[in-house]
Amino acid sequence: MGKYLLRRILQMIPVVLGTTLLVYALVFALPGDPVKAMFGDKPINAAVAAQIRAEYNLDKPFIVQYLLFLKNALTLNFGNTFAGQPVISEIGRAFPVTIKLALMAFCFEAIFGVVFGIISGLKKGKWYDSVILIVSLLLISVPTFVTGFLGQYFLGVKWRLLPVTAGSDPGFLDLLMPAMVLGSVSMAYIIRLTRSEVSSNIAEDYVRTARAKGMSNRSVIVRHVLRNSLIPVVTYLGQDLGSLMSGAMISETIFNVHGIGFLTYQSILKGESNMVVSIVTLLTLIFVVCNLLVDMLYAALDPRIRYA
Amino acid sequence: MSDNESQESMNTSSTLPGQERYVAPADTVKLQDVDSIDESAPATSMWADAWRTLRKNPLFIVSAVLIVCVIFVALFPGVFTHQDPNFCQLEHSLEPSSAGHPFGYDTQGCDVFTRTVYGTRTSLSVGVLTTILVVLFGTLIGALGGFFGGWVDAVLSRCTDIFMAIPLLLGAIVVLQMFRTSGSVWKIVLVLTLFGWTQTARIARGSVMETKNLEFNTASTALGSTPLRNLVSHIMPNSLASIIVVGTTSLGTYIVSEATLSFLGIGLPTTTVSWGGDISNAQTILRTDPAVLFYPSAALAITVLAFIMMGDAVKDALDPKSRTA
Repeated sequence: MGKYLLRRILQMIPVVLGTTLLVYALVFALPGDPVKAMFGDKPINAAVAAQIRAEYNLDKPFIVQYLLFLKNALTLNFGNTFAGQPVISEIGRAFPVTIKLALMAFCFEAIFGVVFGIISGLKKGKWYDSVILIVSLLLISVPTFVTGFLGQYFLGVKWRLLPVTAGSDPGFLDLLMPAMVLGSVSMAYIIRLTRSEVSSNIAEDYVRTARAKGMSNRSVIVRHVLRNSLIPVVTYLGQDLGSLMSGAMISETIFNVHGIGFLTYQSILKGESNMVVSIVTLLTLIFVVCNLLVDMLYAALDPRIRYA
Repeated sequence: MSDNESQESMNTSSTLPGQERYVAPADTVKLQDVDSIDESAPATSMWADAWRTLRKNPLFIVSAVLIVCVIFVALFPGVFTHQDPNFCQLEHSLEPSSAGHPFGYDTQGCDVFTRTVYGTRTSLSVGVLTTILVVLFGTLIGALGGFFGGWVDAVLSRCTDIFMAIPLLLGAIVVLQMFRTSGSVWKIVLVLTLFGWTQTARIARGSVMETKNLEFNTASTALGSTPLRNLVSHIMPNSLASIIVVGTTSLGTYIVSEATLSFLGIGLPTTTVSWGGDISNAQTILRTDPAVLFYPSAALAITVLAFIMMGDAVKDALDPKSRTA
C-alpha cells in the first residue's frame, strides 16, 4: 500500500505540471493580449502597458513566465489581479462559500441518490421504480441552468418556499436551492448506478447461498447486496466531490452565490488571466487529490483489490 | 452445443464399470431449452444478436422514433415552418400563441416555434460532430496506449490524465473566450472534443487491454498475423461495443454542454439560432412569460432524453450479462 501510494503521488507530479502548463498556455499564449484587453476601448498608454507587462512577467519568454508562476504558486503567492487585489485573498473569500455549497450538494446527491437507487433496484419493475427512473432521466436531459430557472420560478417565486438568490454571505437556507440544483445531475447518475448495481448483485450466486444458509432477507440485503453494490457508488461520489467545485459555476451564476465558480466566470469575462490560472491550478490539485483518496478508499472497501 | 457433446463423451469414457452415470433432473437443466436451439440456423454474430434484442426493446423503439424525427427536423426545417427564424417584429413582442404561431412570440417578436424548429440543426450538429471526433480521437489514443503498453501507454495515459483534470466547462470557457464573435458550430465542436475525449480514451484503453490477452488473438498471431492486423481486425471490433455505448450516451451531454456555453454567453452568438441561446434569452422574462423558456428547453430535453435512452438500450443489447439480470 505504501509503495502504491508513493507511485501514485509521483505520477501526480507530471499531471499537475502538465495541467497547469496547459491552462497557462491556453490563457496566456493563445491569440488575444490580456494587457490590451485591460484597456478596453481606451487608448493604450505604452508606458503603463510596459509596466504591467513587467509586473506580470508578460515581457519574458513564455516558458520563463510559466516557471516564475509555478515558483510563486508553490508559496501560495499568486500575485495580484489586474485590478490590484491580491489573488489569494479573493480566492480565500470565495472558497469557504463554495466548499459549503459543494458539501451540501454532496450530501444531497449521496443521500437521495443512494436511497432512491436502492429502492428502485430492489423493486425493479414496480411503479415507483419507473417514476424514479423517469425523474432521473429527466434530470440528466434538462440542462442544469434550466433546472435552476425552474427551481427559482416554482420554489422561489410562485410558492415562496426558498430564497430566489443567495447574495454575498449566504446561510443554509440561501444555499439549499443552489446545492440541490448543483447536485441534481449527479444524483440522477447515482440513482442509475445504484439501481443497476443492486439489481445485478441481487441475482448473484452468493446472494442465493446466503439465502440458502437461512439468513434473513434484511441481512442478505444489507450485508451482501448493499456492501457490494455501494463500492462503485462510493468511487463515483469521491470523483464527483472534486468536480462539484468546478461544476458550481452554473449554479453560482444563476443564484448569485459569491463562490469560486462565480469568481472564475467573472474573472474570465473581465480578462483577469492571473486569477483564472490560479483558480484552475487549485481546482486541478483538489481534483487530483480527490481521485487519489478515492483509489485509497476503494482498496479499503473492497478486499479483492490489493495494490502492490 | 459442441461443449456439451464433448463433456458427455468424456463422462462416458471415464465411467468405470459398476458406476452409475449421474443424470441431472430434467427441470434443472432445462433440456427443452437446449433442444429448442435450431442448430441448422446460421451462426449469428454479436451484432446480429444485439440487433435482435434491440428490435424487441420498447426503449429502443421509442428513442429511435424520436431520434429519426429530430434528424428529420434538423435536415428539413422548412417542412415545418415557412417563416425565417431571424424574421422578428417588435410589435409582436411576447404575444401569446395564435393560429400559425403555436408557441407564441419572444421578447424580440420572433416566432418561438420557428426558432425552436431551426435550433434543432445547431444542437444536433454539435452533438453528432463532437461525438464523431471524440470517438475517433479517443479511440485512437486509448487503443494505441492499451495495445503497445510500456512507455507509449505511460505517456498517453499521463496526457489523458492531464486533460481529464481540467473540467470540460472550465476549459471550454477559457478557450471560447477568445473566439467569441465566431458563429460557427465548429468552434464549439472542437473545444468540446479537446476536453471531452479522455473518457472514451480510458474506456478504449481498458477494453483493448482486456481483449489483447484473449485466446483468439494468440491464435491469430500463431497463424502469422501481424500485431497491427490483430489490432484492426480482431481487437477493435471486440472493443467497439463499450465505445459505442459511451458515444451514444455522451452525445446528449454534448448538446447540453453547447446549450450551457451559449447560456454563459460564450457559446454561439445570438445570430446563430440555437436552443441554448434562446433559453438564455428567455431567462430574463422567466417570471412573467415562462412559456418562452419552456419550448426550447423541452425540445432540448426530449432530444437529449432520446439519445440517453438509446444508449441504455444499446448497452442492454450489447451486454448479455445485464439482460438476464
